Amino acid sequence: MRRAPWVLAGTVAGLVGILSFRSSPQKVTLSTLPTTASPAAATSTSGGNATGGTAGPSAPATTASSGGVVSATGPQVNYFYGVLSVRVTAAGGHITKIAIASLSDGAYAYSHYVDSVSLPMLIKQAMAAQNAKIQGVSGASYTSAGFAQSLQGALSSLKLS
Amino acid sequence: MSGTWHRRVEAMGTTVTLDLFGEGLDDVVDGLAARAAATLREIDRVFSTYRDQSPLSRLRRGEATLAEMPPEVPNVLDACREAHRLSGGWFDPWHLPGGVDPTGYVKGWAAGRALANLRHPRVTGALVNAAGDLASFGDLDGEPFRIGIAAPRDPGALFGVVRLTGALATSGTAQQTGHLIDPFTGVPGARVPSASVAGPDPGICDALATALAIGGDDVLARLERLTDYEGLLIDDAGHWRATSRFPWVEAPRTRLSR
Repeated sequence: MRRAPWVLAGTVAGLVGILSFRSSPQKVTLSTLPTTASPAAATSTSGGNATGGTAGPSAPATTASSGGVVSATGPQVNYFYGVLSVRVTAAGGHITKIAIASLSDGAYAYSHYVDSVSLPMLIKQAMAAQNAKIQGVSGASYTSAGFAQSLQGALSSLKLS
Repeated sequence: MSGTWHRRVEAMGTTVTLDLFGEGLDDVVDGLAARAAATLREIDRVFSTYRDQSPLSRLRRGEATLAEMPPEVPNVLDACREAHRLSGGWFDPWHLPGGVDPTGYVKGWAAGRALANLRHPRVTGALVNAAGDLASFGDLDGEPFRIGIAAPRDPGALFGVVRLTGALATSGTAQQTGHLIDPFTGVPGARVPSASVAGPDPGICDALATALAIGGDDVLARLERLTDYEGLLIDDAGHWRATSRFPWVEAPRTRLSR
């Protein structure tokens, strides 16, 4: 049964998990995201560990006092078709925007498809997942490891994840 | 208030996420995750249809007998027989091109096997998500886990949210086409963009979701008669129909017209 054996790979679930909770090694409580943000719009660019698996970002983030708008850009991560990084903006401890900060993907036609279709979808689902306070998603199968890694880096540097 | 620990494992050609809930798990989470990862990789080694020399590939080509297989293989095929029966024949690993192929059961089953490695006295809940096949035990601060079902034609959006008390699997043509073979005709035959099954056993959920995506209403009617398994169908227009006890947190407004 070609149930896409082992399926096409990747899953947005990784993203959802990353959004809902801090990944390794810190712990964080769900649904009460800490608001450690600075008054003004602070920006920090964190380095990160892009090795996948259980890796978490290596660089701590600048954080700020509560109520402010903060943003951070995750590490540049190699994905199959190129290099990308993800930028997260948050206010009051909640994510307000997730965007691709940088993307270089050469000239592959499929890469264009991935960038124009898959990434916006992942961003949208990451936002939806936070709003619905869910712990996972069933029914979506996309390669998203690169996105997830950079997002994880950005979130961790904001101490939102 | 418990904390959450998140790990990711690359295995079986996909990303499997492990989420552990509990108190003070810093010292145990990596050990538990490593065990789960080893289990997933062992399952991949045995059951991969992409590896020419995997035991299952050799069985499919007739180069080895069932008696020569690792013990998980006959166990999985026994479970597939049960899924075949429960599905009214719509899940049928024995009538597929290229020989017996339990893949439609194995990913969900693998999620359950990985989950079993996460048991620990301080782990109050755990969630394994193998590319949309979910297995879980326990809860989150006393509340069931909440899982979104992706909207079939707009995967960036959630169609609905369900309470997870065991396992949940989703199959269908929304993300992949041509991979669901109708066992009665032998040709690709998925009729439903998105088919989900919730229930206690992750492998059975996976197999029944595959069957539901192909068999549609016939399989949904069978699920209605089962006490442990619930099913959901979503069509192209975003209309849905489900068994009467499907565990919605809140049911979407649209319904499938009859």
